[in-house]
Amino acid sequence: MSAPHYDAVIVGGGVAGALVARELSKAGRSVLILEAGIEGAMNPDTYRQYLQTLYTEGGVRGMPNGPYPWNAAAPSPGIPNAPHPYYTYDTTMQFMSDYLRMLGGTTLHWQGTSLRLVPNDFRMQSTYGQALDWPITYDDLEPAYRRAEAELGVAADVEDQRFFGVWFPEGYVYPMHRMPQSRVDQFFDAALTGKSVKLFGGNYPLKVISIPVARNSTPNPKYALGEGYEAVPAVGDRDQGQRCQGNSVCMPLCPVQAKYSALKTIAVLARKPTVEIRTQCVASKLIIDSESGRITGVEYKHYEKPGGGKFRVETAHGTLVVLAANAIENATLLLASNAANSSGQVGRNLMDHPYLYVWGYSPTPVYPFRGPDTTSGVESLRDGRFRQVHASFRASLANWGWSSEPGNQISLLLGQQTYGAALRRELAHRMSRMVKIGFMFEQLPSPTNRVTIDPRQRDELGNYRPVLSYGYADYSLKGVETAVKTVWPTITKFANVQDETVYVDPAPGGYQRVTYNGTGYNLMGSGHIVGTHRMGSSRKDSVTDRNMKAWDHPNLYVVGAGNQVTIGTANPTLTAAALSIRAADAMLKDLR
Amino acid sequence: MSWTLESLREHLQAALDVEHATIPPYFTAWISIKDTTNVEAAEIIRSVMLEEMLHLTLAANLLNAVGGRPSLTHQGFVPRYPHRLPFSGDRFEINIERFSKRALETFVAIERPEGPRARPEAKKFHTIAQFYAAVREGIDELCERLGEQAVFTGTVARQVQPAAYYAAGELIVVTGRDTAHRAITEIAEQGEGAHDSVFDADRSICGEGREPAHYYRFMQLVKGRRYREGDTPKSGPSGARIDVDFDAVYPIQPNARAHGYPKGSQVRGALDAFGHGYGQLLAALEAAFTGAPDRMTEGIARMFALRDQARALMQIPSGDGKTTVGLDFSQGRAVLDGGPI
Repeated sequence: MSAPHYDAVIVGGGVAGALVARELSKAGRSVLILEAGIEGAMNPDTYRQYLQTLYTEGGVRGMPNGPYPWNAAAPSPGIPNAPHPYYTYDTTMQFMSDYLRMLGGTTLHWQGTSLRLVPNDFRMQSTYGQALDWPITYDDLEPAYRRAEAELGVAADVEDQRFFGVWFPEGYVYPMHRMPQSRVDQFFDAALTGKSVKLFGGNYPLKVISIPVARNSTPNPKYALGEGYEAVPAVGDRDQGQRCQGNSVCMPLCPVQAKYSALKTIAVLARKPTVEIRTQCVASKLIIDSESGRITGVEYKHYEKPGGGKFRVETAHGTLVVLAANAIENATLLLASNAANSSGQVGRNLMDHPYLYVWGYSPTPVYPFRGPDTTSGVESLRDGRFRQVHASFRASLANWGWSSEPGNQISLLLGQQTYGAALRRELAHRMSRMVKIGFMFEQLPSPTNRVTIDPRQRDELGNYRPVLSYGYADYSLKGVETAVKTVWPTITKFANVQDETVYVDPAPGGYQRVTYNGTGYNLMGSGHIVGTHRMGSSRKDSVTDRNMKAWDHPNLYVVGAGNQVTIGTANPTLTAAALSIRAADAMLKDLR
Repeated sequence: MSWTLESLREHLQAALDVEHATIPPYFTAWISIKDTTNVEAAEIIRSVMLEEMLHLTLAANLLNAVGGRPSLTHQGFVPRYPHRLPFSGDRFEINIERFSKRALETFVAIERPEGPRARPEAKKFHTIAQFYAAVREGIDELCERLGEQAVFTGTVARQVQPAAYYAAGELIVVTGRDTAHRAITEIAEQGEGAHDSVFDADRSICGEGREPAHYYRFMQLVKGRRYREGDTPKSGPSGARIDVDFDAVYPIQPNARAHGYPKGSQVRGALDAFGHGYGQLLAALEAAFTGAPDRMTEGIARMFALRDQARALMQIPSGDGKTTVGLDFSQGRAVLDGGPI
């Protein structure tokens, strides 16, 4: 009996793989999705179980992978109570971001922010003399951005998003209206309208704008030339999730599935006869024909029980092979297969957005802890001449107060012998005025920030664990310094906010201590993992071409955020989705 | 009987009253189910409640379309429970009580389809289906006598738009006889099923299969099985098993009264706040139905607040050693406007 042959074998059941599968199956093509993780949250009972973990187990809140179980057969970084960490390191600096290996992927715990990159992000070398230019421009990707916004269900108003050359075709509206502004947003908006900050000889307005999010708000009846848009409800419960309820826990898990996750796309795919989804199948090696360079099969380990144990080695065959795992997993698999690496770039240029919080008290109550995690940001520092010397950044206004801080406030007050009504009064006074801003910094591609493999570092199934080398260059740290020493004081001045920011040493869990020009900062990761198999115009310095086909293999596509040449300051999921759709168009041409 | 525009409006206001009267009991039973238990029961009760909320809104659109003014704040709009549901032949009482065998029997009785739509006797309706059939006839009769334009005089601006409403089916904007018929059909079919079917007609989306009408949805809990495609009223449900655990429920006092607790006590304060919040919700909805559509958002925010307040109340011991505090909706009257949420 010969194994079935598919038009495409897709490795990874996250957003990139799901969107490729969607495009190919719409055109009548057969696809097999191999998902390393378990079915997990796809099952409504399991989804509820994860929610229960989130609600009842202290300490998992605020952790992106907080409610998800450890799976020794396909481990994920950042799982609480894991028997050992997943990453290993070549450097003392750590990589602070994680991803989830489970059907639906990291869109289960993403925040939903769906900003587009700005045009200069695609041409950093020609505009600012930094990094490299992409092989494609904003204009090339614009149509795919719109298609991604349709599938992800993005809520935003076009008028807010036209900045730094970001353009939309005449008459375009997002599928849904922007999310209502929170009281925190309104407070900063009122305080900062018309105000600006001086950077690198230029004046930059501190304008607060609503950010696009893949989260159900009110459908815009003008969408698609008046066709309108129907909000996609929860998988398995159509009476749930048609609107965001403002539960403030988008990350790590939306209680009602108002936030998009790839499960919504996969639920539709699962009903198609031409789509097969196999979970608990970890791709371990690409089989390469040495003559033609073609990928003749994907070898994978199919484990029987969630969590590991016994497995069988099987091989899947497709006309095309599409790697759609996370950027780190794509790189690991390519390295393990000795594939696509004639440029030597596989695994290099690992980027993330170093993330830094500042916080304080507003002069009057702003009632945080309601609304989705974040609904507005200051986007005016995402581009400018300063990018010749330091990172651009965006400021995300948090709707969840100081997040983990309320607990500390209670113990602090109890320590001061404050009880009963006085405690309640003092807590109300403090917590209703908590504001917090997250700064998200650009990082440039560096050959030494990279993923490698080491035969001694393997998981239970014998697959390679990623070995990471990571650090922050001065370009990013100078951005950090600018944000903390110039921008934040300007904001506190205009908004009359009492600064309470302290970066304690040693850094608390989840943060990493970095000292720059004598000042210590506690940085986090953003979970924005990009760059490890970048696209390019030349096979000499890139892994994939402008359509994300590997230069070295005529039937191998590598999709997702790993293709990003630069990271800019947009949260990468929307761009990864748009790139995947663009790649799928090229795949359909190949299959013709 | 001979219809007038005034009697049609009165009937549609009565529709608002009757649709509303089922919501507090469904809400209470749903909230009384402890988290993570009775998952199917909670989902079924909640889904029926959402559709009753849709019906209330459809009734408001109908009433607005014929030039009326929906009221949710008049004396008696929040009934005193136990309450005999109008147009139901005085056959049963509905209570504000926890999810239980008795509550489920009541829900089944509320939603029971009553055979072919018997002709109503002058202003006496034995079933809700008869009542809506009569309203439909009233609309037809008036349209023929006065002309459609003279019946549908309401401004479109008062109609609640689909974008402002979600879940539980389609919100129909009523502008004339056809859309009025569609609205009435939707109310009747969601409740009773389409033509001797277990299922209602139009809730098949994304190929996920149709949803049984209310009566059959509740019968699934009675029978402990889901209906699936192909099942009929006669065959009964043959789908997946459903487990119901009447013990995994907060043992709340039925038909609780805020007055039963001393003034100044914590429970009294919480019950008063709940009742007040309910009144503010009704005020916001009435405003949304009468020319201030933006107030719908406020109403929705208040619904979430009430959900959380109700959950908290049900976990407080009532003091008799057996039950916990129940819900009292009765103070939700006469609150004309609210402050900040």
